[in-house]
Order: sequence, then structure tokens, then C-alpha cells
Amino acid sequence: MTISESSRLRTGWDLLILVLVLLSCLLVPFQIAFRHQVNLAGSVLLYLIDLFFLLDIFLNFHTTFRRQGAEVTDPGEIARHYLGTLFLVDLLAALPFDALLLPWRGVEIGGVSVVLLARLLRLLRVVRLFAILRRWQRQNWTNAGFLRIAKLAAVILLLTHWIACAWFLIPYMEGFPEDSWVVTEGIDEAEPVSQYVRSLYWAIVTMTSVGYGDITPVRNTEYLFTMLAIAVGASIYAFVIGNIASLLSNLDRAKASFWNRAETANQYLRSRRAPSRLSEHIRDYYEYVWERYRGMSEQELFGDLPGPVRLEILLHLTRDLLEQVPLFRHCTPALRNALLMALRPQVFGPDGYIVREGEVGNEIVFISRGTVEILTEERKKSHGNLGSGEYFGDLSMLLGERRTASVRAVTYCDVFVLAREDFDRIKSEYEEFKEILKTISSEKSERLSALVLDGVVL
Amino acid sequence: MKMETTAVDSVTVVRCEGNLDTNTSVEAQDTLNQLMDDGAAKILIDFEKVDFVSSAGLRILLASAKRLSSSGGGLRITGLNDVVNEVFEISGFSTILDVFASEEEALQGF
Repeated sequence: MTISESSRLRTGWDLLILVLVLLSCLLVPFQIAFRHQVNLAGSVLLYLIDLFFLLDIFLNFHTTFRRQGAEVTDPGEIARHYLGTLFLVDLLAALPFDALLLPWRGVEIGGVSVVLLARLLRLLRVVRLFAILRRWQRQNWTNAGFLRIAKLAAVILLLTHWIACAWFLIPYMEGFPEDSWVVTEGIDEAEPVSQYVRSLYWAIVTMTSVGYGDITPVRNTEYLFTMLAIAVGASIYAFVIGNIASLLSNLDRAKASFWNRAETANQYLRSRRAPSRLSEHIRDYYEYVWERYRGMSEQELFGDLPGPVRLEILLHLTRDLLEQVPLFRHCTPALRNALLMALRPQVFGPDGYIVREGEVGNEIVFISRGTVEILTEERKKSHGNLGSGEYFGDLSMLLGERRTASVRAVTYCDVFVLAREDFDRIKSEYEEFKEILKTISSEKSERLSALVLDGVVL
Repeated sequence: MKMETTAVDSVTVVRCEGNLDTNTSVEAQDTLNQLMDDGAAKILIDFEKVDFVSSAGLRILLASAKRLSSSGGGLRITGLNDVVNEVFEISGFSTILDVFASEEEALQGF
């Protein structure tokens, strides 16, 4: 049994885990800095949270994931993928190693119980937080900007909290010397809440470079930590606040530009009240194109390069095609090169129509990758599938007739299209082209005859 | 399309004139079916005076070849012009349908 990563169940669970991650990452440093000792309520809460994370590991072993735009549902693949990615981190963050130290909870380091210090491993859960946000960013890409801001906010929240906790912990571990900021402020015996609020106040004031100067470092350790806090905080805040747009686009300019186009397309569809299924198809298509081609059109990228250079690039980029399609195995290098220069690559998502019944046949389509189905729409009949290495479209083109069937992609398909004018030109320039076509078409003649007898002309 | 039938030994030779397309394919199918119903086991179709064969024409030829082959006979074709011959060769039909360059060659060993 597998759970779809985009299902409501999984999304709801992820939301819960996200909250629990934040809770853990806030609670653990707080306990260390302001409680110092193991207490029942805090421990029970943390171990209860641990149960959820252990369950999360189990669910992760049964949750689908996306690879190159397609959802992987095979349980074995899912398990292998998880084991190879976040499993170890999740395990280290979920197992309550600190429970093993409970018999020694009285042992302290710098006045903090070793049990609490061992709980720092739970901070690894922050990796899960970013994994969840990344997944949501992929699925809910219409709100990608909002999710990016949420990620940024989470980073700022956690860093600020951790710095606040560390700011109080330092003098505590030194035994609250008389000249420490805590004693100077008179909060060494205050309620933990007050201590935390003052610490947080200092963290924010320092990291944002506001620096009121009401709480200032006194001891060397405090100065050193302050410098660190300034460096970290000022860097983050100044950079993010001053350069949000630049940060987002500089992370991956091509990716930002590509997904901007995709988002624009989807917003337009939404404004035209297109069915959500269509939006999903488009999302999946863009995701496939991004993962396969990084959103680039090879023709656009290399169109202005000199012919020989472009050819060399094409030979590398079309190696799948050269291996799969029998036509190329029989070609002379010159003919192969002429064909490669003429072929136009296209990508089709599942259920996308490559050619339609009734269209005039003006091209031959070579399938480099994927599976297609031959359909006669009028009779709603399937006439079988074609796969990698096969081609269609030659008969209607040679006869100058309209196609009597459609061809629809079953999976994502990478195809290469040879237009009629290029076909005619290459046929006239290379005599061997016709001979090669004769050779390879004899291999599919039985299939073709069956189709023609059934009234299918592609 | 005009279709003229003669017999050469045990072979029924059908000489066609015109185009074998959607408009003429029904009549051509009827003619061939009639010949096969009347017992013709070996049919040679001469396309020397045929300018064009469409997919409908191909369908008739394939169906007839299949029927004749299953009853121990055969269908042979000759006289294809360059354009039609190219279609047969490139699409692979010349490996399923027996295509010959001349009537003499086609009748030899039939």
C-alpha cells in the first residue's frame, strides 16, 4: 500500500510534522537554556512527539515520490529512494537516544543535564521541515512565492530562537558571573519566560543591527558570541530584506524564469476557469521538461552556433535516439548527420495527442523515449502501442492522405519529427535513405498491414 | 477504374486502368471477390496503366492477398509506376505483396 505524496492525507500529515518540527526545534534549545534539568512534562511531550516522527519514518517508506515528472509508486523503489536520501537523518532525529541517558540525568555539563544535551540531535528535524516545504513548493507551485517566503521565515525564526537561547546559556554555563549581562539585567532569578523574552529581544535587536544598547555584552565570551550573532543576523536580515528578489532569482535564474512562465500559464488557465485536471497536466509537463531539459529548448540554445558545432552537440544530445531507432543504425555518417540536423525534438505528456485523426500527414515521428497508443476516435478503439525506437506517419505522408487514427502518449514521450520537405530533400540527396527505409520497414510490414487492413493510416 | 480480366494458364490476369482510390476501390474489391468466389487461386494484377493507389487500394490488395494465401493460392502485382512503387517499398508492402518488374517475371513459377 502506498500513499500518494500529493494526497490530502499526506499533505495533512506533513503539516502536522512541520508543526512538530518547529515545536521540537523551539522546545529543545529552550529546555537546555532555560530549564537546564529534565522535567516530566517536557520529557513526556518530547517523547510523544518522537512517536509521531517514528510513524513519519514508516509513512515515508510508503509515500510515493516524483522522478522526472512521473509519480513513482513501486514500493521497492520508494524504499530505496528514501534509504538513499533522508532516512538516516530522520532516524537520528526521531530515535530518543537521550532516553538511554535518563539513569544519569543528574550528570551535568556546564550546569545542563546530559539528557537535555543529547536531545540536541532532534534539531536535525529541521532537514525534514525543508523537505516538506520543497515538496509543497513542487505541488503547489502556484503559491511558490509564498512557500519560499515561508521557508525564509522558518530559517529566521529558528536562527533567532537558537541565538536567543545560546545568549542566555553562555552566562548560565559560566555560573552567572556578577559581570554577566544576565546579572546586570537582574534576571538571573527571574521566571524562565522573562529570561527568554529578554534573550529573544537581544537576539532580534542584534541580528537586525538595530542595537539599542540596553543589553550589551560585558564578558569576553559574550562579546565573542555577540560578534557571531551580528555576523549571522546582519548577514541574513540585510541580505534578505534588501535583496529578496535578487536572492530568489540568483538561486537559479533559469529555474526562476522557467517556473515563472509555467506559473503565468497556470494563472491564465485559472482565470479562464479551466478544469484543475488541465492545470495538473501542465504542472506535470513543466516538471518533466524541467527535469529532462532544464526548461531549455535545444534549438533556441544552439540555433546560432555554426553547423559543425551544433552537429557535435546534437550527436551527444540525441544518443538515446541513435541507439533506439533502427533507422540510424543503418545510416552512413553523412546521412545520419543530415537527419539529425533536420529532426525537431518535441515532448509530450501522458494523454497528449501527438497526431490527430483527420490531420494531413506531413511528418514522420520517431519515438526516442516513451510509449504511445494508436486510437481511432470515431470507433473509440485502440490499435495497440508503439514504443521507443519505432516510428509512424510515413504512410499518410507518402500517400498524401489524412490520418485515419490518432496517436496519443501513454507515458512522457520524447519524439523527433521529420517534416515532409526535409524528408523529400534528404531522399533526393541521399540515395541510400530509400534503401534503408526499405530495410527497416520490412521489419514492421506485418504490423503495418494489420493496421491498414483495419483502416488505420498513420 | 477499368478492370479487364484474362486467363494465362492457371493465372487470372487483371489489367487495371485509372486510379485505385476510395472512389474505385469498392468496385475493384467486388471484381476481385467475384474472381476468388469463382475459383481463381492465382491472380496477377497489372498496374501499368494505373497512376495512383491510395490506402483504400492497398487495403484491397492486402485483403485479397491474405484470402488467396490462406487458400493455397497467391496474389502478384506488376507494372507499378515509380511513385506507387516507392510507396510500396518505403512502407514495406513490397515484402508482403509480391511485386514484380514485368508480367513475364510475375508469371514465371506462379
